[in-house]
Amino acid sequence: MFFHIVLERNMQLHPRYFGRNLRENLVSKLMKDVEGTCSGRHGFVVAVTGIEDIGKGLIRDGTGFVTFPVKYQCVVFRPFKGEILEAVVTMVNKMGFFAEAGPVQIFVSNHLIPDDMEFQSGDMPNYTTSDGSVKIQKDSEVRLKIIGLRVDATEIFCIGTIKDDFLGVINDPTTV
Amino acid sequence: MSEKGGKGFSLLNKGGSLKGKDDNAPKSTKGRKVQFSYEGSNESRTGLSSKSGGKVETAIPKGDWSKGGKGDKVAYGGKSPVSKEKRPLELKIEQELPTNAKCMFDCEATHILEGIQEQMVVLSKDPTIKIPVSFDRGLQYAKSTSHFKNPLAVRPILEFLTDFGVSDGEICLISNMCPETIDEAFALVPSLKDKRILVAVPLKDALSELSKLKQSK
Repeated sequence: MFFHIVLERNMQLHPRYFGRNLRENLVSKLMKDVEGTCSGRHGFVVAVTGIEDIGKGLIRDGTGFVTFPVKYQCVVFRPFKGEILEAVVTMVNKMGFFAEAGPVQIFVSNHLIPDDMEFQSGDMPNYTTSDGSVKIQKDSEVRLKIIGLRVDATEIFCIGTIKDDFLGVINDPTTV
Repeated sequence: MSEKGGKGFSLLNKGGSLKGKDDNAPKSTKGRKVQFSYEGSNESRTGLSSKSGGKVETAIPKGDWSKGGKGDKVAYGGKSPVSKEKRPLELKIEQELPTNAKCMFDCEATHILEGIQEQMVVLSKDPTIKIPVSFDRGLQYAKSTSHFKNPLAVRPILEFLTDFGVSDGEICLISNMCPETIDEAFALVPSLKDKRILVAVPLKDALSELSKLKQSK
């Protein structure tokens, strides 16, 4: 889910960037440092939308660097346990399938796929119902529920399920 | 004696160490890099417990300390999955995010990110600035999942539901999923079931308005 949030960060600036363009340099450094990063609390910082406040700079002892506390508004994307997402399948194997929803990777184990769907190996591995009416393969769109999260320095990885009501394939690429 | 003592000692040690492991199991999973915490899924719980807990379970009858412990463990093990089974996994956004975070509908996010993308076209002429991958993926995802072209029209339709106790996170989920019936809405957002009596009628009206808006795009 997307959120609009105000975050704060202490930005260190080298004296070479001081001058009339100090603010612009600070903002562009902020955007380079922050956009595309991921944290466990806020999720992925997708884009910085504005600067709310730049505090007074403090010169660090021993170096010429100055630290500015910057408050900025940004759009973040963070999945939650219990959230329903529409994701695109990227890989299918006998253990389950991988899907992507924005910058987040989701794995759905075969234990969390309905029992009437079986894995079919081949050039295009897929999970298919016994009557062949529903198929999950690469590029299928599925609605799934997040049941677990793992966060590391650069990405969020989720575990999902399609075994509940109103979850499963939305769009089969072969019928499009 | 020494052998018995030795066996007993080693069993106790094993039991102690296993007990230590068992006690620390929740803590050690927190210390691990890979930690999946599951709720509302018995199969996954048994799957997890079979690896770490299996040894403990087989060792329990052997250890002297564990006779009472076994009973306790069985009783505990028997109760907790049953009590968790009753509540499906619910969305708890407000507890995990700071209070100044505002949930955005996917259509609103699309609108904002498209605006930023236009600016980024100008910025991308500077070779030192790289557009992050997560921005492209985020924008693509928001475009693919947003059902409505005009986000300003969507918010008023759903915002009045807050008067009936529906949280912002729940409203966002309803807007993003755009359920066709209230049964689907209650299935996708289980936390609404507690407020079913209050929310059913206004939610039904809101969903019919949303489906009209979706068709008119």
